[in-house]
Amino acid sequence: MNTTPRLHQPLLCTLLLALLALTGCKTGESTESLPNTQSPGTSQYGGPAPATADVQSFKLNVWDNLSQANRCGECHNSSGQSPRFAHEGDVNIAYAQANTVVNLDEPSRSALVTKVAGGHNCWLGSDQACADAITSMISGWAGGSSGSVNRIELQAPTLRDPGGTIPFPQSSSAFSSTVYPLLTSYCSDCHADGDTRPYLASANVDTAYEAAKSRMSLTAPFSSRLVERLADDRHNCWNNSCEQSASDMEDAITELAGYSNPANVDPELVTSKALTLAGDGLLASSGGRFEDHVIALYEFKTGEGSTAFDTSGIEPSMHLTLTGNVEWVGGYGISFGPAYTDDNNSVRSGKAQATTANSRKLHDLLTASGEYSLETWVVPANVTQEDARIVSYSGSATARNLTLGQTLQNYEVLQRSTTTDQNAVFSTEDGANRLQASLQHVVINFTPDQGRQIFINGEPTGDVDPSPGGLLTEWDDNFALVLGNETDGNSPWEGTIRLAAFHNRALSPEQIRTNFEAGVGQKYYLLFGLSHLIDVPQAFIAFEVSQFDGYSYLFTQPFFISLDEEASPNGIELAGMKLGINGRETLTGQAWSLLQTSLNSSDYVPGQGQILSRQGTIVPLEGGPEVDEFFLSFERLGDHQNVVIPASLPPAPALPDLPAAPEIGLKNFDAINASMARLTGVAVSNPAVRGTFNTIREQLPSASNIEGFLSSQQMAITQLAISYCDELVEDATLRTNFFPNVNFNDPAATAFSGTNRDQVTDPLIRNMIGQDLNSQPLVGDLEGELDELITTLTTCDGSCPAGRTATVVKASCAAVLGSATTLIH
Amino acid sequence: MDASSQFFLMSNSRTAPLSRRQCRLQTRLAVTVVGLLLAAVPPLVQAGDREQAARMHSRLTGVPPSETVLNQMATAIDSGDPVAAAYIAMDDPAFYNVTVKNLAAPWTNEAMTPFVPLNDYTATVIGLVRDEADFRTLLYDDVLYVGSDNGLPSYDTDDNNHYQALEDSGVSLAGSLRRVSQSTYTGIPPQATAGVMTTRAAARAFFIDGTNRAMFRFTLMNHLCNDLEQVADVTLPVDRIRQDVSRSPGGDSRVFLNNCAGCHTGMDPMAQAFAYYDYEYNSDSDPEGNLGQLVYNAAGMTDPDTGTRVQGKYLINATNFEHGYITRDDQWDNYWRMGDNRRLGWDDSLPGNGEGAKSLGRELAHSDAFAECKVRQVFEQVCLREPGNADDRNQLDAIVSRFRNSGYQLKRAYAESAAYCKGE
Repeated sequence: MNTTPRLHQPLLCTLLLALLALTGCKTGESTESLPNTQSPGTSQYGGPAPATADVQSFKLNVWDNLSQANRCGECHNSSGQSPRFAHEGDVNIAYAQANTVVNLDEPSRSALVTKVAGGHNCWLGSDQACADAITSMISGWAGGSSGSVNRIELQAPTLRDPGGTIPFPQSSSAFSSTVYPLLTSYCSDCHADGDTRPYLASANVDTAYEAAKSRMSLTAPFSSRLVERLADDRHNCWNNSCEQSASDMEDAITELAGYSNPANVDPELVTSKALTLAGDGLLASSGGRFEDHVIALYEFKTGEGSTAFDTSGIEPSMHLTLTGNVEWVGGYGISFGPAYTDDNNSVRSGKAQATTANSRKLHDLLTASGEYSLETWVVPANVTQEDARIVSYSGSATARNLTLGQTLQNYEVLQRSTTTDQNAVFSTEDGANRLQASLQHVVINFTPDQGRQIFINGEPTGDVDPSPGGLLTEWDDNFALVLGNETDGNSPWEGTIRLAAFHNRALSPEQIRTNFEAGVGQKYYLLFGLSHLIDVPQAFIAFEVSQFDGYSYLFTQPFFISLDEEASPNGIELAGMKLGINGRETLTGQAWSLLQTSLNSSDYVPGQGQILSRQGTIVPLEGGPEVDEFFLSFERLGDHQNVVIPASLPPAPALPDLPAAPEIGLKNFDAINASMARLTGVAVSNPAVRGTFNTIREQLPSASNIEGFLSSQQMAITQLAISYCDELVEDATLRTNFFPNVNFNDPAATAFSGTNRDQVTDPLIRNMIGQDLNSQPLVGDLEGELDELITTLTTCDGSCPAGRTATVVKASCAAVLGSATTLIH
Repeated sequence: MDASSQFFLMSNSRTAPLSRRQCRLQTRLAVTVVGLLLAAVPPLVQAGDREQAARMHSRLTGVPPSETVLNQMATAIDSGDPVAAAYIAMDDPAFYNVTVKNLAAPWTNEAMTPFVPLNDYTATVIGLVRDEADFRTLLYDDVLYVGSDNGLPSYDTDDNNHYQALEDSGVSLAGSLRRVSQSTYTGIPPQATAGVMTTRAAARAFFIDGTNRAMFRFTLMNHLCNDLEQVADVTLPVDRIRQDVSRSPGGDSRVFLNNCAGCHTGMDPMAQAFAYYDYEYNSDSDPEGNLGQLVYNAAGMTDPDTGTRVQGKYLINATNFEHGYITRDDQWDNYWRMGDNRRLGWDDSLPGNGEGAKSLGRELAHSDAFAECKVRQVFEQVCLREPGNADDRNQLDAIVSRFRNSGYQLKRAYAESAAYCKGE
């Protein structure tokens, strides 16, 4: 398995595009390309002049940075040990020596880099940071963009079978005595049957077990979602202790795992060979980014400690000190969180800050060039924070040279220049929602002629700088670079920065696109061996894989390839490909489980392979890239088949009985309106009542629950009833039909005297209440109430005013019409 | 209610306002009558035929019956046929103008409020109920109901004036509505019509802006009685989840894997059926979209944003996860035929995939969940409560069965529910 054909990147569109773009970078720049000319300052060269331009490039990018006595120059000098690439007397000799330990095609694979990465005399606190810095230097020597590897040497990994796993017990019995009690005790308020999914606390333990499986890891209980929700998200912990709650849950899952014996991979599965990312991954690329003019670079690879290293290779190194709530993120990055108090210890909001002295590099180099690009890969934690500072080169909340910030869904840029107010905001357009709580590549460009531009994910936003371009000559060199906050700590930003870089030339749109497409984080190829399943030598399915964030891996663009260039597949059926991790198929994130294709020679290109999908997916991280072991399984691959029988549905959760509901309820607004129209004979289209109805409609009941009846609703009902009764009484025809024996011209004193009063109340009760219904109020009671009302309304000081008779009828009508008779059913 | 309020109320009247004391008395009377009625409502066990008839009529129509109708219904009940009594009640125009209209009105807007004008969506629901049509066609037929009265503004694809005027007229909708071919009136190709989903009202509510997922979600809620939360399944394939869905919201991919994916695994492959639809309006002059209209990229058309028939909204925010699914057509697949959501009861005679909204509408409407949802909605509207115990649930199952056997006539579900909740 030592064949190493070259896989040309056309398989991977993005890298191809990157290559094309980079080619353009070298030939089509409109801006003059000036080399970085700064040196560490301690190494004064007095030897022969560089013999060629390449030697000159080597000197500027590598030799000047490494020949100091406190770096490689201490040993690899003219009289020291070989290779003497730090020869202080003749840079041409140093150049020749350096050529024996560098790989200009893939700088990260240079012996110079790997030696330091392995722990050889790193001058920084992190071997990785030294390796990255030297990589940047060699990339600069090679032309910056030469780091974009356009071909990958695919090599066969060591073949091994997938390791064992701890399968879930077949029945829910063990679950019922371990994890289930915690779920039913503490999660049932929300996650019981019919409430919020998942039904982890279902009354049916089988249902709960099925729901919990995808949220438990028996091989790594600590990484179970059930544990993480308590430990990390502080999600409804119990007994006021998330730490203890998470511990309880982890213990319970560990106990559950104890009921199951470690087992080999399910023998029914058709599996590939297995791989780990850290042990078997082939570096997919060592760069691909355009960094010819980078002067500060933070890739956050260290993963521990309180320093984030500037690995640009440009002195002075502007390392950042992490303070407050800052955490390293898997897959490279640092995450900034808010201030909090834990066990009475106050932790400030996070920030990462360089010293003022080192930050002066920004002042010196950017004011010298008069332009810049600030490039970041960021993941805002939310879209609700305001005036939050992502990257700031400033002295206080109100004094700055440059700031990239977030307000809601906008990116904001504040800058000091000859034409701008340092506190005036240049923002992405409101409502465009440019900022998303997702990984975004954000570049701020500034040139004296175009001013500021914002690029997101490789594309210009189109927002126009309100200020004309200007000069950076007024920048203050006493400010400090700070990430995730303001220097005073009062403008915290919540989110993750996975890369930050300053370039002392504005990147062209093509270069920005290139850097966006290069992505962030280290990518690998994983080659899953298949030759034990199909009759093709050195057959693999390869993925580009990276750690996506602290919680998952990204698998993309699978392709089939044989490392034997003479081999080719011939009609091999492939169906139902799933990713497995640590001995079992992952329950979530499967993107190719419905894939159906055929591996055949017509689609296969020797040396390049056959693309299976352009898509990608993420799968949960369990133990980390060093220990998580991946494999593929197939429902069908060639002659091998695993017939997957869908699991039977667990029984539907039993619905609990509800408390007895009232037998009666409210009519809704339309029913009340229609009822009043029906009872009075006034049409709903009558302009007066329609106007009233439209005015108060939303104040009327809309739901039937009688326990939700509000006084405001009664007010609206009364108002509508008055409107209907008013129309009824004022319309001669309607009122004659309704009150045939009432003389509305009689004064109130006589209109309601004796039996005349019955001529009002009887029609009201007969037409609006009905007769002989036990569900209606007693007629006698109603008559008494109406009688009292009429008596009261017709008691005037002296004689009642004209029109009082109609008024009293309307009032009596409205009292009955607006009563519960109309409202309830 | 204070005196000043009462004065305000009375100012609507054309007669002189009452004195403060008189107003207070009137208020007291109204309150007293409410109290009397509440106290006087007898328990169900005392309800006789007439009381049962009165309740059924009121629950079905929202209005009290005439004495004649009450007697007819009571007679039917007395003869052991309360369903027949219900059908008598449903002859009342208020059954359509009030009850059916209010069943459908919340389906036509995202706020799910009933306080919306009559529109082509609600009118079509009313028409299908009146005509005792197979109610499943609600989601896939080339059907629309319009008013037939003279003097109404004509149906227009970019306003609701026709239905607003129809409602304002106060006419019986049962008498006025007539069935027409939706495609004829909207200009959408017949094969692109999908019942109420392709009405103007639905488009305005659920195709406006966004990604068209709203049409799927609200159809699911309104017609299968499940929100995404109830059908979330993180174990299904993620291959059809579009690029705009962040796989690491806020930098935490666990949120995607355990939450977002649960809804999108099923929703995205089905919402693809709406890939050619949009609701166009002028957001500057008409920010609410009152004057917008449904548009559809028919065969042969090319969307300038995508270069295909797919609307640009399907490819927005593509850089959120570039490895996500890219929509190239309106091919939909029902992933819920796998996993726990098999429980929704999909029609085995259908393939579970297709192209466009019409076949998706059929897939949804022919599920058990659709029939159960319609019956449940009617039950709750007529009985004024959820099915609360085993008796209720058994009865619900029985009504679903009769609903099916009737050819999915929704009036049958109304009649059966009203008969069950008439009181004993």
